[in-house]
Amino acid sequence: MPTSIRSLRSRIRSVSSTKQITRAMQMVAASKMRRAEEADTASAPYVESASEILTYLASQGATEGHPLFAKRPVKSRLIILVASDKGLAGAYNNNLMKRYLEELKKDDTNKIKNSTITIGRRAAQFATRLKDTAVIAVYQDLPDRPAGNELRAILDTAVAKFNSGEVDDVDVIYTAFNSTISQEVRLIHLLPAGFTETPVSEEVREAEYEPNIQDVLNSVVYRIVGAQLFQALLDARASEYAMRMMAMKNATDNADGLVDDLTLEMNKARQGAITQELAEISGGVEAMK
Amino acid sequence: MQLELVTLLGEKFNEPVYEVMIPTASGEIAVFPGHEPLISIAMPGVLSVRRQKIDDDEHLEYFAISGGVIEVSGKRVRILVDEADAAPDIIEAESRAALEAAMQLRDNAKSQMELEKATRLIDRHAVRLKVAGLRRHHRR
Repeated sequence: MPTSIRSLRSRIRSVSSTKQITRAMQMVAASKMRRAEEADTASAPYVESASEILTYLASQGATEGHPLFAKRPVKSRLIILVASDKGLAGAYNNNLMKRYLEELKKDDTNKIKNSTITIGRRAAQFATRLKDTAVIAVYQDLPDRPAGNELRAILDTAVAKFNSGEVDDVDVIYTAFNSTISQEVRLIHLLPAGFTETPVSEEVREAEYEPNIQDVLNSVVYRIVGAQLFQALLDARASEYAMRMMAMKNATDNADGLVDDLTLEMNKARQGAITQELAEISGGVEAMK
Repeated sequence: MQLELVTLLGEKFNEPVYEVMIPTASGEIAVFPGHEPLISIAMPGVLSVRRQKIDDDEHLEYFAISGGVIEVSGKRVRILVDEADAAPDIIEAESRAALEAAMQLRDNAKSQMELEKATRLIDRHAVRLKVAGLRRHHRR
């Protein structure tokens, strides 16, 4: 059956070239993940220093009555949803959307007004179709390391809405990067502002604050909130690449298995054809006797 | 005295220096070794660094910085800065083009938010251009 052999051969060829593509995508994702992972840890000294100053100022009571620390009863909530621009990353976007829907449902039952800022094309496509939330800003194609300007645009929108009392709570839903094989969807509170208590050094305690404590506090709080958002964006990127790498690895492995199966089938078909031909020849010889 | 420029993307600069001039809300301050502990706010502007006491003004190094938080102790100046670029890394023509683009953005701004964004971009590129200009001046 030469036709079946030919069609099998062409299927093997097409599966092999698909495999080459998925393998290339796997390797690209792996190298991007490594870089994202490095960037992920780079912001630690910045956050630590800012937390230290903030810890001291909070111990002096400076944070009380500060607008960004104001805890109000939540009537309106802003969610910043961080998803990817592209697909082919396994369950990355699905997991995020599932969590996002849960949060929307929670707000719905508690009669909380919800609005959303989306980051990534997939998030925008999903959120703009829902009627439980108002999408107020859409960001797409952010670079792997969002620079000050892009970050500040998002941050300023959130801070302005919070300061004006339009929203009482700002949360970020993103995928936290634990390791190459483990990532989880996480929700963090961005505003009202919070920080990790950090040991305060002698210098920070003794220091003079210029022009005054309030101005320094404003400047530090804004930066630490920004750093938290930045960290979430980096984490999301590292997770996205890790999940894309795994998805593409699985696809490559599947293609490998498929090529093996098809090759076996093709060999069987070829052997069958040969056996049949031999049988016909020996049958013909028998008949001529 | 150690000068550390810390950004969210990691340390941009971490080397011993003799003097740092920092733009702050209340004017430029010069910090020498043994300065009183101080925490203050850096404004967008030019940060100048003198590595050794004997260096004259011709050998100052410049950074374009956006705003940040300054932490001074006797042995260390740490600046938590949103962005810091050393003079050699800035391409003058690029900055000039970006500045013009930002000005156009400001003139065509339709909302308060766009206007603020444009003003911030103008500040940023004006500082970078200034730093690039300083470097060219010294090379002559």
